Amino acid sequence: MNCSASAGQDSVSGATLLNPSTTGKEETVKCQFVTREGTYKLFKGDNCRTTVVGYTPQTNTPVKCSFSGDLICFNAAKELYVCNYKGIKNATDLNNPIDKRSYKGLYPTCHDFNVFADNVHLLVGLSAGQIQLMDPIKKEFCKLYNEERVIDKTKVTCIKWVPGSMNLFLVSHSSGQLYVYKEDLPCGSTTPHYQLFKQGEGFAIYTCKTKSTRNPLYRWVIGEGSINEIAFSPCSKYLATVSQDGFLRVFNYDTMELVGRVRSYFGGLLCICWSPDSKFVVVGGEDDLVTVWSLQEKRVIARGQGHKSWVNVVAFDPYTTTVRDAVDSANEAFGEESETPATRSENISHSLNDSNHLQHHSSTSSSSTIPSLNRNHCGSPSIEFNNHSTHLTCNTVNKSPIINSSRNSPSSIITSYRFGSVGQDTQLCLWELTEDIIKQPVGRSRTSILLHSPTNGSQHPLNSSSSHVSSSAQQSAYCSNLTSTDKCHNTLLPSQTGNCLPNNCNYLDPDVYTDHTTNTISSSTSSTGNNSFTNKHGQTRKEHKKNFSLASRNSDKNSLNKASHSKLNDDPIKLLGTSICPRLDEVPLLEPLICKKIAHERLTALVFKEDFFVTACQEGYIFTWVRPNKWENMQIAPSPIPSIDEEAALVDDNESTVV
Amino acid sequence: MGGNISQLEKELNCESLTVNEHYFGLVNFGNSCYCNSVLQALYFCRPFRQKVLEYKAKNKRVSQNKETLLTCLADLYHHIATQKKKTGTVAPKKFIARLKKENVVFDNFLQQDAHEFFNYLLNTIADLLAAEKSGNQTGPTDNNGKNNSDSNRTWIQDIFQGTLTNETRCLNCESLSSKDEDFLDLSVEIQQNTSITHCLRVFSNTETLSSEHKYYCENCCSKQEAQKRMRIKKLPMILALHLKRFKYMESQNRHTKISYRVVFPLELRLFNKASNKGGDDKLYDLVAVVIHCGPGPNRGHYITIVKSFGFWLLFDDEMVEKMDVSSIEDFYGITSDTQKSSESCYILLYQARESMLSS
Ligand SMILES: [Zn+2]
Repeated sequence: MNCSASAGQDSVSGATLLNPSTTGKEETVKCQFVTREGTYKLFKGDNCRTTVVGYTPQTNTPVKCSFSGDLICFNAAKELYVCNYKGIKNATDLNNPIDKRSYKGLYPTCHDFNVFADNVHLLVGLSAGQIQLMDPIKKEFCKLYNEERVIDKTKVTCIKWVPGSMNLFLVSHSSGQLYVYKEDLPCGSTTPHYQLFKQGEGFAIYTCKTKSTRNPLYRWVIGEGSINEIAFSPCSKYLATVSQDGFLRVFNYDTMELVGRVRSYFGGLLCICWSPDSKFVVVGGEDDLVTVWSLQEKRVIARGQGHKSWVNVVAFDPYTTTVRDAVDSANEAFGEESETPATRSENISHSLNDSNHLQHHSSTSSSSTIPSLNRNHCGSPSIEFNNHSTHLTCNTVNKSPIINSSRNSPSSIITSYRFGSVGQDTQLCLWELTEDIIKQPVGRSRTSILLHSPTNGSQHPLNSSSSHVSSSAQQSAYCSNLTSTDKCHNTLLPSQTGNCLPNNCNYLDPDVYTDHTTNTISSSTSSTGNNSFTNKHGQTRKEHKKNFSLASRNSDKNSLNKASHSKLNDDPIKLLGTSICPRLDEVPLLEPLICKKIAHERLTALVFKEDFFVTACQEGYIFTWVRPNKWENMQIAPSPIPSIDEEAALVDDNESTVV
Repeated sequence: MGGNISQLEKELNCESLTVNEHYFGLVNFGNSCYCNSVLQALYFCRPFRQKVLEYKAKNKRVSQNKETLLTCLADLYHHIATQKKKTGTVAPKKFIARLKKENVVFDNFLQQDAHEFFNYLLNTIADLLAAEKSGNQTGPTDNNGKNNSDSNRTWIQDIFQGTLTNETRCLNCESLSSKDEDFLDLSVEIQQNTSITHCLRVFSNTETLSSEHKYYCENCCSKQEAQKRMRIKKLPMILALHLKRFKYMESQNRHTKISYRVVFPLELRLFNKASNKGGDDKLYDLVAVVIHCGPGPNRGHYITIVKSFGFWLLFDDEMVEKMDVSSIEDFYGITSDTQKSSESCYILLYQARESMLSS
């Protein structure tokens, strides 16, 4: 049994629990905070934040950050910056960018990197609906999509490369529509004519009548109101969307089938993140809550209350995650993985019949026709994964000395997840999803895959024939597990190389682990009086069983041909008390591990990296927070490390410079 | 102005709006926007408007001629609702004159507090209705054995009244006592960079009564330390939330505005229901927002945004404009602590949603 940095320290006394009743007092802005694993500190290098001239926080374009290797891209008001970003290893001058673009009459709203060979392709979504594709390094080209705005006139809300693809990308708009673009196709100057391709509960997918000669290839109409964020699962099999209508929808991307749904307690859902192993989805929104959904069980398993306003960003921290070796889990994983290719090919052939020769499906039937569509075209699976995951950097995985050893123990499973959230309340919350919460009710049969490979595309016929991946289904499943495990073990890296663990922590002693878990649970629930979740485990499970008796039935009902009932099935009043939207007392209500005011303006970005994490706020500041015991890695000496208990306020100059 | 109206009408036609709805601006009679904004917000609270129009219809038949604030309001709403055109302006002259006659507070040309007016209007209507009811109920109809508070219940209570329960637990003997309190609207303390739902949740936080604030426990027959919390026992059909944006500053001897940014969702549930028993938590939809623009209670302007048939409209005295839903965020307030003036939400009206099945 292994034990990570987060599990090592038994004491939670260092962590400050938010008392939601603490109100009225003006809180100071924190530049450091303590968790079980140690002290996180704001990197005070002079260049770690940027001052955006002419920016007013009233403008509604959240500052977002995209990373790719040593590159960071962020938007602030009418400007887009691409900078070298060495994290804490080198001073970064965000005011001296590699590429900076100013837009007139519109704003950049979102962006996504794609890196292959030595090309860096950056997609930028704009507020009037257009999409820009550029290479910020070589600056050789710059393409515009939806230039005439005939495809969609509304704001681009999120843009994502299709995992493993060099030329397919998805664009979501505030109109509630999502388009699949192919990089080398023209957009045309007339409104596209669509025909219905597939529909289901609360969504419909159309294809362009002109077949695959122009963009978009597909148009997904999802729910009502703006699609606020989209996210591919790290295994790249699933696409999840959150909308203003309050729904999280999870689709099997290739078969275009709705796999599951969550309804917010109330209000729109604003943000989304997958767990590194693709098992859980966390969403945040206008109900001030974070909500955790289990792909396996197709139900909401927990909510978190700690924010004082809307939750703008949720992000898993794959580096602070507890991993455990579990021999039996290996068998489970294999059993389930081996089922998958069959199911998958069935679905694919089904969709092929419907679509005749739709572009991205056709790629699955033949490797030679459209090689550019190969979702695994560019390099080895692990690089693939890293390029497209927002949670892991490619460098760390590849450099990691742990990787090789981890291949000997592919059966590790994550037992406790860490994730963070930032919101309009200017606060950062860190949350822990412990084993007690993620453990399934006894006796429930597993209905979905335990461990998804980040390169699930390797099960495509095309990919199996690729030289990178073994063609045997069994072996490719095994590889899949390996890759997932790499990820898990990578999360162990900080604990095994860092000094933050107490020397007496016995990694192999199961009791240490158990103690830790219990400790966390009790600390996270102790101050909620009306919380039905207790650490009397048996009781908790009983409640789950009782309250979620509908769960299996509901998930079975997600048949796609029942669109006629979709209005009724979307009724939030009817959904309350179901696995899609449980009542407040029907699932554990988590409290944050820590909850800190870390900015003056509402926070708009949160990205976890190996040695640090990055936050951004509406004012246009980018903040780097150094993880515990990572200060010695820094070449630039920071200001003297304050003592653990010190909670100094940010220096005054952070407040200024807002025009 | 005429151009503006036809522009709105054009936009409404573009929406292929076939419903019979009227969007009329109200003429300002010198700082009467506090009144106009509330009248517009209430007009678009369908249950309220419906009752006012019913009252008008009933009054016609009964030919009751005594002018009250309610008859003036009924005339005004009726006048708007029976216009041939969909858009235009109306002068609420009679209503304003009646208001000034009835209450000296409003008998001037100063800017008034819209919430004060809102509260005054609802209470006056409730009193008028209760008086009419007891006047009619002389005779055989009175023997149904209802208690006083029930017989005083009017459609104002049916629409706006909710019940708070004050729970106090004696820390000495652990006995719990609770006291119910009815409300027509909730006045909510606000904090910077929060949501209205958070501010409402804080409302219910447990408070410890100690030292000079000790609680007299009937069980212990002495003053004891106690824990108190306020929860919502009964949710109203229309939840009216008043944001406490005007704070009295002793140093300046006047009220000053708190322009904090408080976000409000288009849909909400309350976190502080006393219990989940007795039906589901109501899901509310935002139907109208009264917005205060400017630096203080006696300086500034009031406007209203309302939702009607799926789209949003902005009413600024005689002006009416269609508004994109994304513009609502302009009215959350501001994050700057130095700037006091703002266009920020002041009264929020949420209406309980009926299930799609039952409607
Ligand atoms: Zn007592």
